[in-house]
Amino acid sequence: MTQTEVIARLQPIFDDLFMEKVNLTPQLTAAEVEEWDSLIQISLLLAVEKAFNIRFRVGEVEAAKNVGEFADLIVRRVNGGA
Amino acid sequence: MSTQVVPTLAPGSDVLGRLKELALSKDPEFFPLMRAQTLATTSAEDMLLLAALRKRAAQRGLVTQQKPVRVAILGGYTPYPLNELIGHLLATGSPVSWNAEFLLGDYDNYIAEIVEESGRLYEFRPEVILLFPSHRRCHYTGQWIDSREQQEAAARNTAAQILDLCRTANARCGAEIVLANFPLPARFDPGPYRARTLASDWNFRKVVNLELGLNAPSYVHICDVEFLSARRGTLEAWDARAWFESKQAYGRGLMLDVAREAAHLIATLRETLKKVVVLDLDNTLWGGVVGDDGLDGIEIGDTSPRGEAFKAFQQYLASLAARGVLLAVCSKNDYDKAAEPFEKHPEMALRMADFASFKANWQPKSENIRQIAQDLNLGLDSLVFVDDNPAEIEIVKQFVPEVGTLLLGPDPSEFVAQLQDTRWFEPKTLTAEDLERAGQYRQEAQRQDLLSSITDIDAYLESLEMQAHIREFHPVDAPRISQLINKSNQFNLTTRRRTEAQVLAIIADPAYFHFTVRLADRFGDYGLISVVIGKMDGEVAEIDTWLMSCRVLKRQVEEEVLNQIVAMAQMRGAKRIRGVYLPTAKNGMVRDHYANLGFAPAPAESTERYEFELETQSCQPKSTKIRIVERPYDAN
Repeated sequence: MTQTEVIARLQPIFDDLFMEKVNLTPQLTAAEVEEWDSLIQISLLLAVEKAFNIRFRVGEVEAAKNVGEFADLIVRRVNGGA
Repeated sequence: MSTQVVPTLAPGSDVLGRLKELALSKDPEFFPLMRAQTLATTSAEDMLLLAALRKRAAQRGLVTQQKPVRVAILGGYTPYPLNELIGHLLATGSPVSWNAEFLLGDYDNYIAEIVEESGRLYEFRPEVILLFPSHRRCHYTGQWIDSREQQEAAARNTAAQILDLCRTANARCGAEIVLANFPLPARFDPGPYRARTLASDWNFRKVVNLELGLNAPSYVHICDVEFLSARRGTLEAWDARAWFESKQAYGRGLMLDVAREAAHLIATLRETLKKVVVLDLDNTLWGGVVGDDGLDGIEIGDTSPRGEAFKAFQQYLASLAARGVLLAVCSKNDYDKAAEPFEKHPEMALRMADFASFKANWQPKSENIRQIAQDLNLGLDSLVFVDDNPAEIEIVKQFVPEVGTLLLGPDPSEFVAQLQDTRWFEPKTLTAEDLERAGQYRQEAQRQDLLSSITDIDAYLESLEMQAHIREFHPVDAPRISQLINKSNQFNLTTRRRTEAQVLAIIADPAYFHFTVRLADRFGDYGLISVVIGKMDGEVAEIDTWLMSCRVLKRQVEEEVLNQIVAMAQMRGAKRIRGVYLPTAKNGMVRDHYANLGFAPAPAESTERYEFELETQSCQPKSTKIRIVERPYDAN
């Protein structure tokens, strides 16, 4: 699975969570989206873990700076990498 | 019960889309759908989604009418996002939607926050404090081989320190405390040896939890996390990643359970308790239709599995009655046919004497339920109705919406659990009065019989041989006094609610005078039936609170209470007594109370407050048929 494929699968998850349409790009950050508060962030992580059947390790989501890095992290977890 | 299919809220699900549509178009249909989803949701993920959606709908102006409540969350953990879940559950609650304003304590700073007198906790004036003491302070720090006495003392001490914090917080601000106890650890370590020593976290936490529950004062309400963790499974109780990342107290599933329990406790502290369960008969208390199948044809009792299940349901209802819940019947049947099983069938666990009211006729059930409420002198919102017929449930929902309803499923073996899961009949504290209540209603029926045989009311009152005890408030009575203050709606002149702590404060304040009345007659003891609080204001004694149990109306108790008020006001030098009537939706019956007792109405300044005055000098004690066995100043 590639970053682009992951972002394509993330789009419907975001569509469900956000009232306003958010167009996902690798450069997008949470700070740029008004609705993206801490409650949305928690819901988002739980929804992603469920949808991709993965579990993030302690601290690693915080380290992702934008949607692209978050997608890369998902790719690593899906592939079982370190 | 047929297992209801709960629609999942997974991304792309229709329910979520529908809720979003309703939110965007500001359609109030949003609320019932949101409430139904919130009730059905069992995963924290879905609940957080719903919480976020409701918040964003509110930001767009889609709001419902709410009552405010101020809640502080303190503890050894990050209160976020637990507060989001609790806030959401309170807001979607029914019948009341609560708008919780939260104060979130700092991570693991609860001891300082409670002990410091001038801090943001007390500035916030919380009505409820949710306290989550840290599991890191609930741990045996000595040796595993220390004596059992030493280990027990440590556990008791741990619990005592936590309860001391509760006492301090309650004394400083009067808040009710919801105290979370400790979940049980799920890991095998230290193996079976865990059972042999109090030094293991497993045993130590169990003892601390026991000590907390058994020693909690009445303003401390245990949020039983040990029970909740056992119910869900302890493996889900703890999430190490969530602890290291954001100091979360529980795994997600348990977090939702705790949020539900905390919201339930906060809401039920403030809502009317259910007092009566109104029951259908055919296919509810027995299998089959007694009118068609006859006494011998109905399924009840130990001869068949179905009969046994119906009997178990009856036995559970009998156990509810034993803890003070009233039972009533509302059935579409000929009266004689409906009564026959209770009188003649050997396998019935319930008998006619167990029911406070028995309606078997062909009138609409909604009408019968209104009549039951009237007979028992109770508000409709303290009744619930249980039936296996969806059409009857619908009619009651539509015509008497105040009444809670339970639709039984097709399998009688699930009836008990279905009724238990409504959580309608959970006592906060049990008082002796609660347990006597059912007997009191039966005694009332006997008195009514006597009344119909006597035409002279004076002779009737005389024949009752009434005796009253009038006493000033005493701290040991504070729980009962507060309970009566908080549940009396109809005969209540001002409907001022007071917590136990506020009652204790009144006892300590010399500006107030106060007393309770207990009444008994030859048929039985009514228990505590009236509470009066007066406050001196210069030469005027104002009656701050006057409430009475409706069961003792027209027994001349009003007159005796007034005699007592006049005596106490005169002792304090009052020239006038001022009665206040604050109208509510429920207390119309006392609109003319003061006028009937000879008070002069003062010109009304608003329709929300009426005042009446009585000169103390012109007052002669009224004579009644009640023998006063005890009066406050006898003790002095």
